[in-house]
Amino acid sequence: MPQRVAIVGIGQTRHTSRRPDVNDGELINEAVSAALADAQLTMKDIEAVIIGNMEFFEGHHLNDAMLIDYTGARGKAGLKMNTGGTVGTMEVISGCYHVASGLFDTCLVIGWEKHDEASTTSCITTITDPAVDRPYAVGALSGLAIISMNYMTRTGCKVEHAAMVRAQASENASRNPNAHVRDRLSVEDVLKGRMVLYPLNLYFLCPTSVGACALVLASETKAKKISRKPVWIRDHITVHSDYSGALFTFPGETRETSHMVAGRKIFQRNHITKPIREIQVFELYDPCAFLQMSWLEDFGICDQGEAWKLVEKGVTAREGEFPVCPSGGVLCTNAIGDSGTLRVAEAALQIRGDAGEHQVTRDVKAALASGYGGSYWTDLLLLSKTPD
Amino acid sequence: MQQKTTDELITQEMLLKIPYRWAAGEHIGEFLRELRRSGKIYANKCPKCGRFRCPPAPVCSRCHTKMEEREKWVHVGPKGTLLSFFVAEQSFLVPTTGDMLEVPFSVGVIWLDGAPVALWHQLEETNPDKIKVGMRVEAVFKPKEQRQANIFDILHFKAI
Ligand SMILES: [Zn+2]
Repeated sequence: MPQRVAIVGIGQTRHTSRRPDVNDGELINEAVSAALADAQLTMKDIEAVIIGNMEFFEGHHLNDAMLIDYTGARGKAGLKMNTGGTVGTMEVISGCYHVASGLFDTCLVIGWEKHDEASTTSCITTITDPAVDRPYAVGALSGLAIISMNYMTRTGCKVEHAAMVRAQASENASRNPNAHVRDRLSVEDVLKGRMVLYPLNLYFLCPTSVGACALVLASETKAKKISRKPVWIRDHITVHSDYSGALFTFPGETRETSHMVAGRKIFQRNHITKPIREIQVFELYDPCAFLQMSWLEDFGICDQGEAWKLVEKGVTAREGEFPVCPSGGVLCTNAIGDSGTLRVAEAALQIRGDAGEHQVTRDVKAALASGYGGSYWTDLLLLSKTPD
Repeated sequence: MQQKTTDELITQEMLLKIPYRWAAGEHIGEFLRELRRSGKIYANKCPKCGRFRCPPAPVCSRCHTKMEEREKWVHVGPKGTLLSFFVAEQSFLVPTTGDMLEVPFSVGVIWLDGAPVALWHQLEETNPDKIKVGMRVEAVFKPKEQRQANIFDILHFKAI
């Protein structure tokens, strides 16, 4: 029988475009110290440490060993993860496996990235097939543009809707002191953005940030003993996609993306029939404004072609009926290795009622957090206020 | 640190410049040899579920069946329909060459005639207003003597 798992400590650094004042270890330690303080634990109480980023970005590998002074992992169990866009959520899921197995009662999970140290886009270009696709890829941007164009073609969504998504994200980020890009932007401001990769201008894309996020996970027995406000990881799922089918479906072919499979399965096995009513907030991994809409549909929050209408009606706003990324999301803060961990952290803060200025207006009993990216797979986590 | 001695920040500049040699393998290798030899684009088909792959793959990712033998590969293209596209207007460092990307640079996802398969490749047209999803395009190959069994043997796709 697996043990139930709770989040008992949450810590994050402020996010910004550059941190030349600290090295990677010092950055990580800010988040680790904050998470331990939040959990009211010390490093002695931690049994396993999981750390992850995209190593290519900082240009040094074996960082699990090199950063041990700052992570506190010496003499403890754990893993290093480097799964691209999903690093941050994979780490939390891996931490869950560690604790749920009964082998560990506590696990520290650390996601981090220092995008100021190299060229993100050229590093990401190496995720593609070297012989056939690589010359035609521009980092992650090309995939985002191809999906965005396809989404508009399929559903009738207009560029203006993506601008609404970004304007709303900026409103949310302006309330979040740890977010990176916090300027308030109007729909008109967003539409005037410099074109990067047609149809995507600068504001439709996530920034490259520096930051770290750490979580302390604990077993049910431990959590009930040490934590006043544990947030329960009720369920999680990982679904892989094949490389050739990840971005595209042919006209006439039934669309079945990894997000669609993940949403369907997790709602089914938790007896959630109307996720939009039964879940109060979704910290969705949204690296591009168009994708926030396309992916809400794919996760089954609404029907295909309906998400841009929800955005128009304000349903996904912080005060709306189904707030999406009240933290400002990946659209305003993106230190890749930390982005997924941060989604879980922000969803958990909403459940605790500790999100401060960007707290949603309704009582949050259940929340979703997702991750996506290389290697074309989906992570989806369901969090709740009560263990069952 | 407890006490700062200076506001000066030290950073270390470095450049990683690493040559690679990547084996294309049996299937992608043969796909590239055909680009050079015949100027034809090939796909293969899963004998069980009927899914096509381009470039050809050894095993079907959907049903894990061994894909069809070389003799049964199907010729696709050179004409096709544009399914999606982008035009890069900002330049980026290209990791495979170390040079900056020449912009505007447009790339299309091309549904090749003959099978439901798509190839990502460069488009000749770089003005986004003149590129439309659904438009017909055709592969332009390099002259045979200049082909090198790589994806650049297809120069680009032009509108027809
Ligand atoms: Zn098959």
